[in-house]
Amino acid sequence: MTPPKDQVLGAIRHSLRRAVLPGAEATPPRTARVAPADRPALLRQFEQALVALTGHVHHAASAGEAADIIAAVAAEHGARTFLSWDGGELGCDGLLEALASRHLTRVAYDLAFDAAQRAGAVPGLGDVILGLTGSDAAIADAGAIVLVSGPGRGRLASLLPPVHVALVSASRIHPTLPDLLADHPELVARGANLVVIAGPSRTADIEMTLTHGVHGPKHLHVILMP
Amino acid sequence: MTSAAAFYRRIDDALANTRVRQALASTMTRLADRRTDALASLPDSDALRDQARRIRAHTIAHLDRYLETFATNAEARGCRIHWAPTAADATRIVVEIAREAGITLAVKSKSMVTEEIELNAALEAAGVRVVETDLGEFVVQVGEDRPSHIIAPIVHRRREDVARLFQEKLGARPEEVADVAAITAFARRTLRRDFLQAGMGISGVNMAVADSGSVCLVTNEGNGRLTTTLPRVHVAVMGLERVVPTAADLGVLLQLLARSATGQALSVYTNVISGPRRPAGSGSPNAGEPDGPDAIHVVIVDNGRTKMLDGPLAEMLYCIRCGACLNVCPVYRHIGGHAYGGVYPGPMGAVVSPGQMGLDAWSELPQASSLCGACRDVCPVRIDLPRLLLTLRAQAAERELTPWWLRLGMPLYAAVATRPALYQWLGSMAARVAHGVARGGWVRRLPGPLAGWTASRDFPAPARRSFLQSYEERRGRTERPS
Repeated sequence: MTPPKDQVLGAIRHSLRRAVLPGAEATPPRTARVAPADRPALLRQFEQALVALTGHVHHAASAGEAADIIAAVAAEHGARTFLSWDGGELGCDGLLEALASRHLTRVAYDLAFDAAQRAGAVPGLGDVILGLTGSDAAIADAGAIVLVSGPGRGRLASLLPPVHVALVSASRIHPTLPDLLADHPELVARGANLVVIAGPSRTADIEMTLTHGVHGPKHLHVILMP
Repeated sequence: MTSAAAFYRRIDDALANTRVRQALASTMTRLADRRTDALASLPDSDALRDQARRIRAHTIAHLDRYLETFATNAEARGCRIHWAPTAADATRIVVEIAREAGITLAVKSKSMVTEEIELNAALEAAGVRVVETDLGEFVVQVGEDRPSHIIAPIVHRRREDVARLFQEKLGARPEEVADVAAITAFARRTLRRDFLQAGMGISGVNMAVADSGSVCLVTNEGNGRLTTTLPRVHVAVMGLERVVPTAADLGVLLQLLARSATGQALSVYTNVISGPRRPAGSGSPNAGEPDGPDAIHVVIVDNGRTKMLDGPLAEMLYCIRCGACLNVCPVYRHIGGHAYGGVYPGPMGAVVSPGQMGLDAWSELPQASSLCGACRDVCPVRIDLPRLLLTLRAQAAERELTPWWLRLGMPLYAAVATRPALYQWLGSMAARVAHGVARGGWVRRLPGPLAGWTASRDFPAPARRSFLQSYEERRGRTERPS
């Protein structure tokens, strides 16, 4: 019997002989580029787009300033603990220490590869109110941030808690997602996961009524760092 | 009952539901307007759509190569690739994965291909509880309903319907379903418990990237991320056409997908997955990550797609499933998704259902179009949907799947229309009869096989004199020597 892979690929090859495919070219098309705007204009566009999505934008020049902002957000939502990327991955030296001195406790986790152990550890993470991450890029026209997973860069920090705070380096702003992926195609597979986040979680499934925080974070705060 | 009779029955049911029709029309208008604005905000949306079309056309023309490249690269990242020629193969594969991993609860993010292969029923039969986690799909599942739009699955439901459903089926208290925000919060709490306990997450695939072996899925709610992050096993089910060559190509299509679907610049979460995490020190690019699934299975489904590829309908495989053609279609806007009968409604569904599953069961769907071309105008990859619908109509006619009165009527019409004297005489007779029965310039009821036309609208009484008569008279006047 033909293996299913050969069955499917064979069926494709057979069908392609008679397929009518208007506009198909033999060589892959090249991606057109957007003319680059200057960085201040891109940052303004990014901020406007993110605010329009009900995201919050803050500016900080130091770990102390960033910690103050995070502490204020935590207080607003009654958070005493947080999920976080490792200190070295946040792109802001000394931030975790500054948060510890403001009485915020990081809940560290590393899910076990053992199914039973893993199943036991996950529910405990569900009660944490605040998640803290760095980021790898920002996208001006969509008001979006880009996070690539890796060691010390857990995905749950930007996903499970109802409040997500992300540190974004102003130097990593790109005009559009196609521009970013054309310039840095290696990003998509640097880790197991790349996620582009454009605002807080939302749904409009019921009567087109926009509602935030249905599964992912309801509140998104971006701290722009120089 | 023939499939055509069943189709007309569903249409009558849909048209009789005034409330749903009004909600549908206003929702579709809003979505279509948002799409227009979102494309207008791009520097050159026409050039971008041309580019997107070239990407899809090139990929499909070399589908065997790109699909094989994707499979090889995804395997190198630690994914298991499964090939499913049929829907039954696909469901058997997923059930087997669940059984081997000892899964009793699976969470699922919205996926049309899993609707197409009826995966939930197969898993439930194997003792796996499956929970839909997209809010709309959750409501569909709790209500034992079917989605009526590929992007907005419960466009046919009111808030009060959802509130009552949650009270009756899930024991929600009145204050927990008081408004949309409360309903949403209730769904979050209910589904979060399942997310934290599920051993398996099942998703579709919006696009797969060949050269990195990645799968991409987009959601607004975040359920797609939870589905592919919390459970230890992730199963991604993809139609075999959902592949693009490079990450740059993915960027171009994503720049159009959400704009065309809902008018957003991007969906809230664009989630690109390149293999499961690996233990620290394993040398994999995914080594040492603290969370994410330990195993990823990608199930590549044919289920009639290669049948659609074989011939004049192949262009349909360019489709990126944005739903824009539904939102602008005057037929969809009146009858809604359920009337189409299949998983995929609207103009794209009227091609996909017969294209993949065969014309025998779906020959009437391509007739449900005025061929106005609005679908082609909004398609982000410029699929010529009217051409495909006409192709299907021609195929149905050749195979004598069209209704008897059409098969009899068209040659009859041709016989009359090619004989001018006969045509004019019959035309004047028909006009005279029409005037006899017209009241106030309108004919309320036409006789015989034409009665269907006047069943839901009046027919305008023809002019007293035919165009040809007027034409001859005027020409006579102007050419008369003075």
